[in-house]
Amino acid sequence: MTAAPAIEVRHLTKDFRIGLKGVKLRAVDDLSLSIPRGQVYGLLGPNGCGKSTTLKVVLGLVPATAGEVSILGLPSATAEARARTGFLPEAPYFHKFLSGRELVRYCAHLSGVPSDRVEAAVEEAVALVDLREAAGRLVGTYSKGMLQRIGLAQAIVHDPELVILDEPTAGVDPVGAAAIGRIIEAMRARGKTVVLCSHLLGQVEQVCDRVAIMDKGRLVLEGAVEEVLERRDRHVLTVDALTPAALAAAEAALVAHGARLGAVTHPRRSLEELFRELVTGSRDA
Amino acid sequence: MKAACHRSLWIARITFLEAIRQRFFAFLFILGAALVLASGAVRVFDFGHSELKFLADFGFGGLFLFGSILGVVMTAQLFFAEIDNRTALTLLAKPLSRAEFLAGKFLGIWAVLGVFVLVLAALLAAMLGWRAAELAQLAAERRLAPPECDLAGLALYAALQWLRLGVVVAMVLAVAAAARTFLFAVVVGALAVLAGQLQWLSQELLLKPAEPGLGHAALWLLTHLLPNLQQFNLGDALVLAPHQVTAGTLPWVFLSGVAYVVAFLVLATFLFRRREI
Repeated sequence: MTAAPAIEVRHLTKDFRIGLKGVKLRAVDDLSLSIPRGQVYGLLGPNGCGKSTTLKVVLGLVPATAGEVSILGLPSATAEARARTGFLPEAPYFHKFLSGRELVRYCAHLSGVPSDRVEAAVEEAVALVDLREAAGRLVGTYSKGMLQRIGLAQAIVHDPELVILDEPTAGVDPVGAAAIGRIIEAMRARGKTVVLCSHLLGQVEQVCDRVAIMDKGRLVLEGAVEEVLERRDRHVLTVDALTPAALAAAEAALVAHGARLGAVTHPRRSLEELFRELVTGSRDA
Repeated sequence: MKAACHRSLWIARITFLEAIRQRFFAFLFILGAALVLASGAVRVFDFGHSELKFLADFGFGGLFLFGSILGVVMTAQLFFAEIDNRTALTLLAKPLSRAEFLAGKFLGIWAVLGVFVLVLAALLAAMLGWRAAELAQLAAERRLAPPECDLAGLALYAALQWLRLGVVVAMVLAVAAAARTFLFAVVVGALAVLAGQLQWLSQELLLKPAEPGLGHAALWLLTHLLPNLQQFNLGDALVLAPHQVTAGTLPWVFLSGVAYVVAFLVLATFLFRRREI
Protein backbone atom coordinates (compact mmCIF):
# COMPACT_ATOMS: atom_id res chain seq x y z
CA MET A 1 0.00 0.00 0.00
CA THR A 2 1.43 3.42 -0.96
CA ALA A 3 1.52 6.19 1.61
CA ALA A 4 -0.97 9.04 1.15
CA PRO A 5 0.50 12.21 -0.38
CA ALA A 6 1.72 14.92 1.97
CA ILE A 7 -1.09 17.19 0.75
CA GLU A 8 -3.99 16.28 -1.49
CA VAL A 9 -6.26 19.05 -2.74
CA ARG A 10 -9.32 18.05 -4.75
CA HIS A 11 -11.45 20.59 -6.63
CA LEU A 12 -10.84 23.30 -4.04
CA THR A 13 -12.79 26.51 -4.47
CA LYS A 14 -12.73 29.44 -2.09
CA ASP A 15 -14.95 32.49 -2.38
CA PHE A 16 -14.77 35.58 -0.20
CA ARG A 17 -17.67 37.94 0.28
CA ILE A 18 -16.54 41.55 0.24
CA GLY A 19 -18.22 44.85 0.95
CA LEU A 20 -21.67 45.54 2.31
CA LYS A 21 -23.35 43.97 -0.72
CA GLY A 22 -21.36 40.76 -0.20
CA VAL A 23 -19.86 40.72 -3.69
CA LYS A 24 -18.29 37.34 -4.34
CA LEU A 25 -14.55 37.22 -4.97
CA ARG A 26 -13.20 33.86 -6.09
CA ALA A 27 -9.70 33.44 -4.61
CA VAL A 28 -9.20 29.77 -5.52
CA ASP A 29 -10.99 28.20 -8.47
CA ASP A 30 -11.34 24.41 -8.73
CA LEU A 31 -7.76 23.66 -7.70
CA SER A 32 -6.52 20.08 -7.62
CA LEU A 33 -3.01 19.24 -6.44
CA SER A 34 -1.15 16.26 -5.08
CA ILE A 35 2.09 17.02 -3.24
CA PRO A 36 4.25 13.90 -2.80
CA ARG A 37 6.06 13.16 0.44
CA GLY A 38 9.76 13.81 0.99
CA GLN A 39 10.07 16.56 -1.60
CA VAL A 40 10.45 20.31 -1.66
CA TYR A 41 7.42 21.66 -3.51
CA GLY A 42 7.23 25.21 -4.83
CA LEU A 43 3.86 26.93 -5.00
CA LEU A 44 4.32 29.96 -7.20
CA GLY A 45 2.26 32.75 -8.63
CA PRO A 46 1.80 36.53 -8.63
CA ASN A 47 0.40 38.36 -5.61
CA GLY A 48 -3.30 37.67 -5.16
CA CYS A 49 -3.25 34.45 -7.19
CA GLY A 50 -4.60 32.40 -4.29
CA LYS A 51 -1.42 30.76 -2.92
CA SER A 52 -1.78 31.97 0.67
CA THR A 53 -5.52 31.30 0.66
CA THR A 54 -4.83 27.75 -0.51
CA LEU A 55 -2.33 27.27 2.33
CA LYS A 56 -4.80 28.69 4.86
CA VAL A 57 -7.48 26.28 3.69
CA VAL A 58 -4.96 23.42 3.89
CA LEU A 59 -4.23 24.39 7.51
CA GLY A 60 -7.89 24.73 8.42
CA LEU A 61 -7.56 28.46 9.12
CA VAL A 62 -10.11 29.32 6.45
CA PRO A 63 -13.03 27.06 5.50
CA ALA A 64 -13.28 25.94 1.87
CA THR A 65 -16.31 26.92 -0.19
CA ALA A 66 -16.08 23.60 -2.04
CA GLY A 67 -13.66 20.74 -2.41
CA GLU A 68 -11.60 18.55 -0.09
CA VAL A 69 -8.15 18.85 1.39
CA SER A 70 -6.16 16.19 3.25
CA ILE A 71 -2.78 16.27 4.98
CA LEU A 72 -0.86 12.98 5.14
CA GLY A 73 -4.14 11.17 4.48
CA LEU A 74 -6.03 12.97 7.28
CA PRO A 75 -8.74 15.61 6.88
CA SER A 76 -6.77 18.86 6.99
CA ALA A 77 -8.91 20.64 9.59
CA THR A 78 -8.18 18.03 12.30
CA ALA A 79 -5.77 18.66 15.17
CA GLU A 80 -4.03 15.37 14.35
CA ALA A 81 -3.18 16.61 10.85
CA ARG A 82 -1.93 19.92 12.23
CA ALA A 83 0.21 18.11 14.83
CA ARG A 84 2.17 16.61 11.92
CA THR A 85 2.51 19.96 10.15
CA GLY A 86 4.69 23.01 10.75
CA PHE A 87 3.77 26.44 9.40
CA LEU A 88 5.64 29.69 8.91
CA PRO A 89 3.19 32.43 7.81
CA GLU A 90 4.07 35.28 5.50
CA ALA A 91 5.69 38.24 7.34
CA PRO A 92 5.40 36.53 10.70
CA TYR A 93 4.85 38.57 13.86
CA PHE A 94 5.66 37.13 17.24
CA HIS A 95 5.22 38.38 20.81
CA LYS A 96 8.05 40.88 21.19
CA PHE A 97 8.37 40.43 24.94
CA LEU A 98 9.47 36.81 24.58
CA SER A 99 13.03 35.77 23.84
CA GLY A 100 13.60 33.59 20.79
CA ARG A 101 14.06 30.54 23.01
CA GLU A 102 10.88 31.32 25.02
CA LEU A 103 8.90 31.69 21.79
CA VAL A 104 10.07 28.33 20.46
CA ARG A 105 9.39 26.71 23.87
CA TYR A 106 5.86 28.18 23.86
CA CYS A 107 5.22 26.75 20.40
CA ALA A 108 6.72 23.39 21.41
CA HIS A 109 4.18 23.12 24.25
CA LEU A 110 1.32 24.09 21.91
CA SER A 111 2.51 21.59 19.30
CA GLY A 112 2.33 18.67 21.70
CA VAL A 113 6.03 18.04 22.35
CA PRO A 114 6.21 15.91 25.54
CA SER A 115 7.29 18.06 28.52
CA ASP A 116 10.46 16.05 29.15
CA ARG A 117 11.49 16.53 25.50
CA VAL A 118 10.74 20.25 25.19
CA GLU A 119 14.16 21.66 26.12
CA ALA A 120 16.04 19.27 23.82
CA ALA A 121 13.58 19.97 20.97
CA VAL A 122 13.95 23.75 21.45
CA GLU A 123 17.75 23.58 21.38
CA GLU A 124 17.68 21.34 18.32
CA ALA A 125 15.35 23.68 16.40
CA VAL A 126 17.29 26.78 17.41
CA ALA A 127 20.56 25.13 16.36
CA LEU A 128 19.12 24.06 12.99
CA VAL A 129 18.24 27.66 12.12
CA ASP A 130 21.62 28.83 13.45
CA LEU A 131 20.20 31.12 16.13
CA ARG A 132 21.70 29.50 19.22
CA GLU A 133 23.67 32.61 20.22
CA ALA A 134 20.78 35.04 19.72
CA ALA A 135 18.07 32.78 21.18
CA GLY A 136 18.28 34.53 24.56
CA ARG A 137 17.52 37.94 23.05
CA LEU A 138 14.01 39.40 22.91
CA VAL A 139 12.25 38.76 19.59
CA GLY A 140 11.55 42.52 19.39
CA THR A 141 15.27 43.12 18.79
CA TYR A 142 15.56 40.65 15.88
CA SER A 143 16.29 41.62 12.26
CA LYS A 144 13.95 40.42 9.51
CA GLY A 145 16.24 37.53 8.65
CA MET A 146 16.41 36.43 12.27
CA LEU A 147 12.61 36.73 12.59
CA GLN A 148 12.19 34.41 9.62
CA ARG A 149 14.67 31.95 11.11
CA ILE A 150 13.04 31.94 14.55
CA GLY A 151 9.74 31.52 12.69
CA LEU A 152 11.22 28.47 11.01
CA ALA A 153 12.38 27.15 14.40
CA GLN A 154 8.86 27.44 15.87
CA ALA A 155 7.50 25.65 12.78
CA ILE A 156 9.83 22.66 13.09
CA VAL A 157 10.27 22.34 16.86
CA HIS A 158 7.84 19.40 17.04
CA ASP A 159 9.64 17.59 14.20
CA PRO A 160 6.68 17.67 11.77
CA GLU A 161 6.57 15.53 8.65
CA LEU A 162 5.26 18.42 6.57
CA VAL A 163 6.54 22.01 6.74
CA ILE A 164 4.67 24.82 4.98
CA LEU A 165 6.62 28.02 4.43
CA ASP A 166 4.79 31.09 3.11
CA GLU A 167 7.30 33.59 1.71
CA PRO A 168 10.12 32.65 4.11
CA THR A 169 12.56 34.93 2.29
CA ALA A 170 10.35 38.03 2.01
CA GLY A 171 12.34 41.09 3.06
CA VAL A 172 15.47 39.04 3.73
CA ASP A 173 18.80 39.91 2.09
CA PRO A 174 20.43 37.42 -0.32
CA VAL A 175 22.76 36.02 2.36
CA GLY A 176 19.82 35.41 4.71
CA ALA A 177 17.78 33.94 1.86
CA ALA A 178 20.63 31.56 1.06
CA ALA A 179 20.75 30.53 4.74
CA ILE A 180 17.02 29.78 4.63
CA GLY A 181 17.61 27.80 1.44
CA ARG A 182 20.20 25.69 3.27
CA ILE A 183 17.74 25.04 6.11
CA ILE A 184 15.15 23.87 3.59
CA GLU A 185 17.71 21.52 2.06
CA ALA A 186 18.58 20.23 5.53
CA MET A 187 14.89 19.48 6.11
CA ARG A 188 14.68 17.61 2.82
CA ALA A 189 17.75 15.61 3.86
CA ARG A 190 15.82 14.59 7.00
CA GLY A 191 12.99 13.28 4.83
CA LYS A 192 10.55 16.13 5.44
CA THR A 193 8.11 17.43 2.88
CA VAL A 194 8.48 21.18 2.42
CA VAL A 195 5.91 23.34 0.66
CA LEU A 196 7.48 26.64 -0.29
CA CYS A 197 5.66 29.77 -1.45
CA SER A 198 8.18 32.28 -2.70
CA HIS A 199 8.78 35.05 -5.19
CA LEU A 200 12.50 34.27 -5.25
CA LEU A 201 12.29 32.18 -8.39
CA GLY A 202 16.03 31.56 -8.50
CA GLN A 203 15.92 29.98 -5.10
CA VAL A 204 12.78 28.00 -5.90
CA GLU A 205 14.53 26.62 -8.96
CA GLN A 206 17.51 25.62 -6.82
CA VAL A 207 15.75 23.95 -3.91
CA CYS A 208 12.46 22.63 -5.27
CA ASP A 209 11.87 19.20 -6.74
CA ARG A 210 8.46 20.09 -8.15
CA VAL A 211 6.58 23.33 -8.72
CA ALA A 212 3.02 24.42 -9.29
CA ILE A 213 2.21 27.81 -10.77
CA MET A 214 -1.10 29.48 -9.97
CA ASP A 215 -2.73 32.47 -11.63
CA LYS A 216 -6.12 34.02 -10.81
CA GLY A 217 -6.92 31.17 -8.46
CA ARG A 218 -6.27 28.45 -11.03
CA LEU A 219 -3.44 26.00 -11.53
CA VAL A 220 -1.67 26.80 -14.79
CA LEU A 221 1.33 24.45 -14.60
CA GLU A 222 2.54 21.61 -12.40
CA GLY A 223 5.49 19.25 -12.66
CA ALA A 224 9.09 18.41 -11.76
CA VAL A 225 11.35 21.46 -12.01
CA GLU A 226 13.68 19.80 -14.53
CA GLU A 227 10.76 18.79 -16.72
CA VAL A 228 8.97 22.10 -16.75
CA LEU A 229 12.13 24.14 -17.39
CA GLU A 230 13.79 21.99 -19.99
CA ARG A 231 13.28 23.09 -23.63
CA ARG A 232 13.64 19.83 -25.48
CA ASP A 233 13.52 21.57 -28.89
CA ARG A 234 16.71 23.62 -28.25
CA HIS A 235 20.32 22.84 -27.15
CA VAL A 236 23.18 24.72 -25.51
CA LEU A 237 26.82 24.02 -26.25
CA THR A 238 29.41 25.50 -23.89
CA VAL A 239 32.73 25.86 -25.69
CA ASP A 240 36.12 27.04 -24.43
CA ALA A 241 38.58 28.95 -26.66
CA LEU A 242 36.17 29.45 -29.57
CA THR A 243 37.91 31.25 -32.46
CA PRO A 244 35.96 33.01 -35.28
CA ALA A 245 37.15 30.33 -37.72
CA ALA A 246 35.96 27.51 -35.46
CA LEU A 247 32.60 29.27 -35.02
CA ALA A 248 32.16 29.63 -38.80
CA ALA A 249 33.05 25.94 -39.32
CA ALA A 250 30.64 24.86 -36.57
CA GLU A 251 27.83 26.96 -38.04
CA ALA A 252 28.46 25.46 -41.52
CA ALA A 253 28.44 21.94 -40.05
CA LEU A 254 25.16 22.62 -38.26
CA VAL A 255 23.54 23.99 -41.44
CA ALA A 256 24.78 20.94 -43.36
CA HIS A 257 22.85 18.77 -40.89
CA GLY A 258 19.66 20.82 -41.13
CA ALA A 259 20.18 22.64 -37.82
CA ARG A 260 20.43 26.40 -37.28
CA LEU A 261 22.70 28.31 -34.92
CA GLY A 262 20.39 30.54 -32.90
CA ALA A 263 22.82 32.68 -30.89
CA VAL A 264 26.40 32.83 -29.72
CA THR A 265 26.79 34.49 -26.31
CA HIS A 266 29.07 34.40 -23.30
CA PRO A 267 27.63 32.52 -20.32
CA ARG A 268 26.66 34.77 -17.40
CA ARG A 269 26.55 34.15 -13.73
CA SER A 270 23.58 35.49 -11.79
CA LEU A 271 23.87 38.59 -9.62
CA GLU A 272 22.92 36.39 -6.66
CA GLU A 273 25.81 34.03 -7.40
CA LEU A 274 28.22 36.97 -7.70
CA PHE A 275 26.90 38.55 -4.49
CA ARG A 276 27.18 35.33 -2.54
CA GLU A 277 30.66 34.73 -3.93
CA LEU A 278 31.81 38.17 -2.77
CA VAL A 279 30.26 38.12 0.69
CA THR A 280 30.78 34.46 1.56
CA GLY A 281 30.74 33.77 5.24
CA SER A 282 29.00 36.95 6.31
CA ARG A 283 25.64 36.54 8.08
CA ASP A 284 22.82 38.91 8.88
CA ALA A 285 22.70 39.55 12.57
CA MET B 1 -8.20 16.48 27.90
CA LYS B 2 -4.94 16.87 29.82
CA ALA B 3 -3.16 17.99 26.65
CA ALA B 4 -5.96 20.47 25.89
CA CYS B 5 -5.67 21.96 29.41
CA HIS B 6 -1.89 22.14 29.01
CA ARG B 7 -2.21 24.08 25.74
CA SER B 8 -4.88 26.43 27.18
CA LEU B 9 -2.69 27.14 30.20
CA TRP B 10 0.21 28.09 27.92
CA ILE B 11 -2.04 30.50 26.02
CA ALA B 12 -3.19 31.86 29.40
CA ARG B 13 0.39 32.28 30.57
CA ILE B 14 1.45 34.30 27.51
CA THR B 15 -1.79 36.33 27.62
CA PHE B 16 -1.11 37.15 31.28
CA LEU B 17 2.45 38.27 30.47
CA GLU B 18 1.17 40.40 27.60
CA ALA B 19 -1.59 41.95 29.71
CA ILE B 20 0.56 42.99 32.66
CA ARG B 21 2.93 44.76 30.26
CA GLN B 22 0.15 47.02 29.00
CA ARG B 23 0.30 50.66 30.03
CA PHE B 24 -3.49 50.76 30.11
CA PHE B 25 -3.51 48.06 32.80
CA ALA B 26 -0.84 49.87 34.84
CA PHE B 27 -2.76 53.15 34.51
CA LEU B 28 -6.10 51.78 35.74
CA PHE B 29 -4.38 49.66 38.38
CA ILE B 30 -2.64 52.71 39.85
CA LEU B 31 -5.81 54.82 39.53
CA GLY B 32 -7.88 52.19 41.35
CA ALA B 33 -5.30 51.80 44.11
CA ALA B 34 -5.02 55.59 44.46
CA LEU B 35 -8.81 55.87 44.76
CA VAL B 36 -8.92 53.33 47.59
CA LEU B 37 -6.02 54.95 49.43
CA ALA B 38 -7.46 58.45 48.89
CA SER B 39 -10.72 57.41 50.56
CA GLY B 40 -8.98 57.72 53.94
CA ALA B 41 -8.12 61.35 53.24
CA VAL B 42 -11.59 62.39 52.04
CA ARG B 43 -13.65 60.45 54.56
CA VAL B 44 -14.77 63.73 56.18
CA PHE B 45 -17.04 64.19 53.16
CA ASP B 46 -19.17 61.22 54.15
CA PHE B 47 -22.49 62.95 53.37
CA GLY B 48 -24.03 61.70 56.59
CA HIS B 49 -23.27 58.03 56.01
CA SER B 50 -21.25 55.97 58.44
CA GLU B 51 -17.55 56.49 57.94
CA LEU B 52 -16.85 52.81 57.28
CA LYS B 53 -19.59 52.66 54.68
CA PHE B 54 -18.08 55.68 52.97
CA LEU B 55 -14.65 54.02 52.89
CA ALA B 56 -16.14 50.71 51.69
CA ASP B 57 -18.19 52.42 48.96
CA PHE B 58 -15.04 54.09 47.64
CA GLY B 59 -13.28 50.74 47.42
CA PHE B 60 -16.28 48.89 45.98
CA GLY B 61 -16.68 51.67 43.40
CA GLY B 62 -13.02 51.46 42.37
CA LEU B 63 -13.20 47.69 42.04
CA PHE B 64 -16.43 47.87 40.08
CA LEU B 65 -15.62 50.74 37.74
CA PHE B 66 -11.97 50.13 36.93
CA GLY B 67 -12.44 46.36 36.97
CA SER B 68 -15.26 46.65 34.44
CA ILE B 69 -13.29 49.01 32.18
CA LEU B 70 -10.27 46.71 32.36
CA GLY B 71 -12.42 43.65 31.70
CA VAL B 72 -14.03 45.12 28.59
CA VAL B 73 -11.08 46.96 27.02
CA MET B 74 -8.34 44.47 27.88
CA THR B 75 -10.35 41.49 26.62
CA ALA B 76 -11.13 43.14 23.28
CA GLN B 77 -7.58 44.48 22.98
CA LEU B 78 -5.83 41.18 23.71
CA PHE B 79 -8.18 39.26 21.42
CA PHE B 80 -7.76 41.64 18.48
CA ALA B 81 -4.00 41.88 19.04
CA GLU B 82 -3.79 38.17 18.19
CA ILE B 83 -5.99 38.60 15.11
CA ASP B 84 -4.58 41.90 13.79
CA ASN B 85 -0.92 41.04 14.44
CA ARG B 86 -1.60 37.63 12.90
CA THR B 87 -0.07 35.73 15.83
CA ALA B 88 -3.35 33.77 15.82
CA LEU B 89 -2.37 32.49 12.37
CA THR B 90 0.77 30.87 13.79
CA LEU B 91 -1.00 29.55 16.90
CA LEU B 92 -4.12 28.15 15.26
CA ALA B 93 -2.03 26.35 12.63
CA LYS B 94 -0.84 24.19 15.54
CA PRO B 95 -2.89 21.35 17.05
CA LEU B 96 -4.71 23.91 19.16
CA SER B 97 -8.49 24.08 18.90
CA ARG B 98 -10.30 27.39 18.83
CA ALA B 99 -12.03 26.47 22.09
CA GLU B 100 -8.63 25.93 23.75
CA PHE B 101 -7.42 29.25 22.36
CA LEU B 102 -10.43 31.12 23.76
CA ALA B 103 -10.23 29.28 27.09
CA GLY B 104 -6.57 30.27 27.33
CA LYS B 105 -7.36 33.90 26.52
CA PHE B 106 -10.11 33.88 29.13
CA LEU B 107 -7.92 32.38 31.85
CA GLY B 108 -5.03 34.75 31.13
CA ILE B 109 -7.20 37.88 31.27
CA TRP B 110 -9.13 36.60 34.28
CA ALA B 111 -5.85 35.94 36.11
CA VAL B 112 -4.77 39.55 35.50
CA LEU B 113 -8.12 40.78 36.81
CA GLY B 114 -7.59 38.47 39.79
CA VAL B 115 -4.37 40.30 40.61
CA PHE B 116 -6.21 43.62 40.22
CA VAL B 117 -9.04 42.55 42.54
CA LEU B 118 -6.64 41.01 45.07
CA VAL B 119 -4.48 44.12 45.37
CA LEU B 120 -7.41 46.56 45.55
CA ALA B 121 -9.26 44.35 48.06
CA ALA B 122 -6.09 44.08 50.18
CA LEU B 123 -5.71 47.87 50.18
CA LEU B 124 -9.38 48.29 51.05
CA ALA B 125 -9.06 45.72 53.83
CA ALA B 126 -6.09 47.64 55.23
CA MET B 127 -8.01 50.93 55.13
CA LEU B 128 -11.17 49.44 56.66
CA GLY B 129 -9.26 47.43 59.28
CA TRP B 130 -7.26 50.46 60.35
CA ARG B 131 -10.27 52.77 60.65
CA ALA B 132 -12.53 50.09 62.19
CA ALA B 133 -9.95 49.51 64.94
CA GLU B 134 -9.80 53.26 65.65
CA LEU B 135 -13.59 53.58 65.70
CA ALA B 136 -13.91 50.48 67.92
CA GLN B 137 -11.52 52.07 70.41
CA LEU B 138 -13.53 55.33 70.40
CA ALA B 139 -16.76 53.37 70.84
CA ALA B 140 -15.28 51.43 73.76
CA GLU B 141 -14.29 54.69 75.45
CA ARG B 142 -17.88 55.92 75.08
CA ARG B 143 -19.29 52.49 76.09
CA LEU B 144 -21.00 52.15 72.68
CA ALA B 145 -21.26 49.10 70.41
CA PRO B 146 -18.32 48.94 67.95
CA PRO B 147 -19.16 49.42 64.22
CA GLU B 148 -19.59 46.24 62.21
CA CYS B 149 -16.82 45.45 59.71
CA ASP B 150 -16.23 41.88 58.57
CA LEU B 151 -12.92 41.49 56.68
CA ALA B 152 -13.71 37.83 55.89
CA GLY B 153 -16.85 39.18 54.22
CA LEU B 154 -14.62 41.52 52.24
CA ALA B 155 -12.64 38.49 50.99
CA LEU B 156 -15.93 36.90 49.88
CA TYR B 157 -16.96 40.13 48.19
CA ALA B 158 -13.60 40.24 46.35
CA ALA B 159 -14.14 36.65 45.18
CA LEU B 160 -17.61 37.57 43.91
CA GLN B 161 -16.24 40.61 42.08
CA TRP B 162 -13.60 38.42 40.46
CA LEU B 163 -16.36 36.07 39.33
CA ARG B 164 -18.39 39.03 38.03
CA LEU B 165 -15.36 40.15 36.02
CA GLY B 166 -15.09 36.58 34.72
CA VAL B 167 -18.64 36.91 33.37
CA VAL B 168 -17.68 40.27 31.82
CA VAL B 169 -14.57 38.81 30.15
CA ALA B 170 -16.48 35.79 28.79
CA MET B 171 -19.24 38.09 27.52
CA VAL B 172 -16.79 40.42 25.74
CA LEU B 173 -14.95 37.42 24.27
CA ALA B 174 -18.24 36.27 22.75
CA VAL B 175 -18.77 39.75 21.29
CA ALA B 176 -15.16 39.95 20.02
CA ALA B 177 -15.39 36.49 18.42
CA ALA B 178 -18.12 37.82 16.13
CA ALA B 179 -16.89 41.43 15.81
CA ARG B 180 -14.77 42.69 12.92
CA THR B 181 -13.11 45.57 14.74
CA PHE B 182 -11.70 46.30 18.18
CA LEU B 183 -13.84 49.42 18.56
CA PHE B 184 -17.05 47.54 17.80
CA ALA B 185 -16.13 44.88 20.38
CA VAL B 186 -15.42 47.53 23.03
CA VAL B 187 -18.62 49.50 22.40
CA VAL B 188 -20.93 46.48 22.20
CA GLY B 189 -19.10 44.78 25.08
CA ALA B 190 -19.50 47.87 27.28
CA LEU B 191 -23.20 48.14 26.36
CA ALA B 192 -23.67 44.45 27.22
CA VAL B 193 -22.05 44.98 30.62
CA LEU B 194 -24.24 48.02 31.24
CA ALA B 195 -27.33 46.04 30.24
CA GLY B 196 -26.25 43.22 32.56
CA GLN B 197 -25.87 45.71 35.36
CA LEU B 198 -29.43 46.94 34.76
CA GLN B 199 -30.90 43.50 34.11
CA TRP B 200 -32.66 43.50 37.48
CA LEU B 201 -34.88 46.31 36.18
CA SER B 202 -36.23 44.06 33.44
CA GLN B 203 -36.76 41.32 36.04
CA GLU B 204 -38.88 43.69 38.11
CA LEU B 205 -40.84 44.86 35.07
CA LEU B 206 -41.51 41.27 34.10
CA LEU B 207 -43.07 40.61 37.50
CA LYS B 208 -45.63 43.36 36.96
CA PRO B 209 -48.91 42.24 35.36
CA ALA B 210 -48.91 43.14 31.65
CA GLU B 211 -50.60 42.20 28.37
CA PRO B 212 -48.63 39.57 26.41
CA GLY B 213 -47.09 41.24 23.36
CA LEU B 214 -43.87 42.05 21.57
CA GLY B 215 -42.63 44.27 24.40
CA HIS B 216 -43.30 41.58 26.96
CA ALA B 217 -41.55 38.96 24.83
CA ALA B 218 -38.51 41.24 24.37
CA LEU B 219 -38.41 41.81 28.11
CA TRP B 220 -38.59 38.07 28.77
CA LEU B 221 -35.76 37.44 26.30
CA LEU B 222 -33.62 40.19 27.82
CA THR B 223 -34.16 38.85 31.33
CA HIS B 224 -33.27 35.29 30.40
CA LEU B 225 -30.32 36.00 28.10
CA LEU B 226 -28.50 38.71 29.96
CA PRO B 227 -26.64 37.92 33.16
CA ASN B 228 -27.71 39.80 36.26
CA LEU B 229 -24.42 41.48 37.13
CA GLN B 230 -26.02 43.41 39.96
CA GLN B 231 -26.42 40.21 42.00
CA PHE B 232 -22.64 40.17 42.64
CA ASN B 233 -22.73 43.54 44.42
CA LEU B 234 -23.21 42.22 47.93
CA GLY B 235 -20.47 44.40 49.40
CA ASP B 236 -22.55 46.28 51.97
CA ALA B 237 -24.28 43.13 53.15
CA LEU B 238 -21.12 41.03 53.36
CA VAL B 239 -18.78 43.59 54.92
CA LEU B 240 -20.90 46.01 56.94
CA ALA B 241 -23.93 43.88 57.82
CA PRO B 242 -22.95 40.19 57.44
CA HIS B 243 -26.15 38.87 59.08
CA GLN B 244 -28.22 40.28 56.17
CA VAL B 245 -26.98 37.68 53.67
CA THR B 246 -29.26 34.65 53.59
CA ALA B 247 -27.77 31.15 53.51
CA GLY B 248 -28.70 30.31 49.94
CA THR B 249 -27.65 33.61 48.37
CA LEU B 250 -23.91 33.03 48.00
CA PRO B 251 -24.06 29.51 46.48
CA TRP B 252 -26.74 30.71 44.04
CA VAL B 253 -24.73 33.77 42.96
CA PHE B 254 -21.59 31.66 42.67
CA LEU B 255 -23.26 28.93 40.60
CA SER B 256 -25.06 31.34 38.29
CA GLY B 257 -21.76 33.21 37.76
CA VAL B 258 -19.98 30.01 36.77
CA ALA B 259 -22.89 29.01 34.52
CA TYR B 260 -22.77 32.38 32.72
CA VAL B 261 -19.01 32.10 32.21
CA VAL B 262 -19.40 28.62 30.68
CA ALA B 263 -22.37 29.68 28.54
CA PHE B 264 -20.59 32.76 27.13
CA LEU B 265 -17.41 30.77 26.43
CA VAL B 266 -19.44 28.15 24.55
CA LEU B 267 -21.12 30.96 22.58
CA ALA B 268 -17.71 32.56 21.87
CA THR B 269 -16.37 29.23 20.59
CA PHE B 270 -19.42 28.77 18.37
CA LEU B 271 -19.02 32.26 16.89
CA PHE B 272 -15.24 31.89 16.50
CA ARG B 273 -15.47 28.37 15.02
CA ARG B 274 -15.63 29.35 11.35
CA ARG B 275 -14.04 32.78 11.56
CA GLU B 276 -11.47 33.31 8.84
CA ILE B 277 -8.06 34.04 10.35
